[in-house]
Amino acid sequence: MLNVEKIRGDFKILNGEKKPIYFDSACMSLKPYSVVEAMNEYYYEFPACAGRSSHKMSNKTTKKVKETRKFIKDFINANTEREIIFTRNTTEGINLLVNSFPFKKDDVVLVTDKEHNSNLVPWLRLKERIGIVLKIISSNEDGTFNLEKFSEMVEGARFVSVVHTSNLDGVTNPAKEIIDIAHKNGALVFLDCAQSIAHQKIDVKELGVDFIAFSGHKMLGPTGTGVFYGKQKLLEELDPFMVGGDTVESSTYEGYKMLPIPEKFEAGLQDYAGIIGLGEAVKYLSSLDCKEIVEHEYILNKYITEELQKFPQIKIIGPADPHLRSGIVNFYIENTDMHKFAIILDEMDSIAIRSGQHCVHSWFHSKKIYNSARVSFYIYNTIDEAEVFIKSLTKILKIL
Amino acid sequence: MPCIVALIVFGIMGIFSASQRALAREALDCVFRRVTLRPCNTGFAEKVKGKLIAKILKRSTFLAKVLNKYYEIFSWIFFILMVGSTVWVFRGVYNFYVYGSCNGLNESGFCAFDPNGENNKVTPLGDGATCGVTQKTEQTVTLKDVDLSSFSKQEIGSKDTVVFIGCYACDYSRKAYPDIEKLVAKKKANYIFAHYPAKGDVTNFLADTGYCVAKEYPQKYLDFNSYLFSTDKNYILDPKNIDTILLNFGFDVKKINDCAKSLETKNAVENQVKELNKTNIYGTPTIFINSKAFVGPKPYRVYRSAINKFIFF
Repeated sequence: MLNVEKIRGDFKILNGEKKPIYFDSACMSLKPYSVVEAMNEYYYEFPACAGRSSHKMSNKTTKKVKETRKFIKDFINANTEREIIFTRNTTEGINLLVNSFPFKKDDVVLVTDKEHNSNLVPWLRLKERIGIVLKIISSNEDGTFNLEKFSEMVEGARFVSVVHTSNLDGVTNPAKEIIDIAHKNGALVFLDCAQSIAHQKIDVKELGVDFIAFSGHKMLGPTGTGVFYGKQKLLEELDPFMVGGDTVESSTYEGYKMLPIPEKFEAGLQDYAGIIGLGEAVKYLSSLDCKEIVEHEYILNKYITEELQKFPQIKIIGPADPHLRSGIVNFYIENTDMHKFAIILDEMDSIAIRSGQHCVHSWFHSKKIYNSARVSFYIYNTIDEAEVFIKSLTKILKIL
Repeated sequence: MPCIVALIVFGIMGIFSASQRALAREALDCVFRRVTLRPCNTGFAEKVKGKLIAKILKRSTFLAKVLNKYYEIFSWIFFILMVGSTVWVFRGVYNFYVYGSCNGLNESGFCAFDPNGENNKVTPLGDGATCGVTQKTEQTVTLKDVDLSSFSKQEIGSKDTVVFIGCYACDYSRKAYPDIEKLVAKKKANYIFAHYPAKGDVTNFLADTGYCVAKEYPQKYLDFNSYLFSTDKNYILDPKNIDTILLNFGFDVKKINDCAKSLETKNAVENQVKELNKTNIYGTPTIFINSKAFVGPKPYRVYRSAINKFIFF
């Protein structure tokens, strides 16, 4: 069992006098002391450039950045550190892919009907710009992935870009099967791991995935940090869409010589404090057992799901089985603005949940649902907090 | 509707607080979108509603339910109340500026800008009177049918006339007198001074003496008045000092004293008081500016506004 009490002690915000009930980890996780302290240490003690200067402070920064790259390589079991590219977030990683991969007119790209705007809009834009064919894989009625339909659609596709765990309903798509089917059909696969990386073990070698991207801010790390992973051979073939300082070995007035990966994708001065903080977050997560995280989230999800099911007016988005919804319970009440619901929870009992369309506007528009309230938990949440939430929710439902 | 209410409320609060300013901006955006027939895209109305309901829900589920159900109606009620109270506040500010009281001319009800009612305090008429707030007893203090011909006048052909009815021994008259002097000098107004012995016997001898000075030395009378209003009250009220005062002004002391003691003077002063009582005066100072009565020592701007005709209603 996850030692939640011990974990809570690592988060300043959960140890103050007014402790919020933070149920919005699908948007942003809280940060442990170690992450913040590592960033402060950089700013206070060696705030220098990495890889450029040769003084002691710069060398230390270089070493720390290198260490982080190694932590992440080990964390996702990549082949080499060269496959780890630092970005600002998942969105930047996807844009890097979309704008660097040699797509051509009429290339078929598949995405699911539950993609975050970050894995939909870049493709829609590419469709406008060069004329790719974007196909949407419809989910099953309960929100789970429709492998059968996918198998039919993937024929002739060049690229499959799907979310691993949906931020809409918490459903984790069968990545291994998707990748195998896609590869058999000659398509490459990108996995949006923004929502999954902090909750389950991701082994890129075992999955055989071609590209993934994730953000630091959902995995205990600092905001403005992210990672784009690609198989070395594929990354070497990509043409960077952003170049400049730190991406070239040398330049003349006539030309330039690009650095190898990963540097050729990391243009300009990097967020060293953020990268170092991200390294600490990965270290922190590596010290936990992924299976215990899954189990803990299931307990919370099961309790909240069962309680919500007692109210007939509440509709849960996604499968009824909490096992299939990771750390997310997303629900709505017909003809009710869930923003109001979320605001009352926050004002009344400092319960932070997310309301709205969760950057999956396309899904909400297609289902004609105005908005929803999403409860998402993580390693620091407790069953007591879940009980307070249900109590407050019951109170609110009485007035609606 | 809640957006408009919020814009006004947060707009005012935003003057003092940056966080309220941000809310005011959101409300403005919301109002702008609504008047251009677009939905409010900030969720602002729901945000405000949610915050209010949450606060009430902590205390009463029933009240929160009622508010949630009739929120729009409550919003309208509060909007109307807000507009009403805003008009009332502006009226109060206007009244305070031009009359020295939020409630209107000579009204002594509570005024936030003058909580102690200083601008309406008068010395009530009669023996042994004490100074303090006195509720108006006569609704119409007027100069109509009052003969002021026996009082000292400074006629300079102005269209404006100031009549000061005051008492040498009264604190509020003493407070108002310098302002009236200043007003008359600055605005070049006709001026009539009428002494009303509000404190009875204590000031009767000064009333008689003043009458005689006005009669014998009319050109020096206002200087004599200025002196009495600006010199220590205990000194001027002591009959033993009157000779010295008269002597200092170069007056014929014997002549003035004889005049003051004469029956003719007593009758004249008595007639003056009778005439002043016709104004329905209930305290001093009472100042008439172009026939409009100002009871109590008002701030100078009130008198100036009356001359400048800065009074709409």
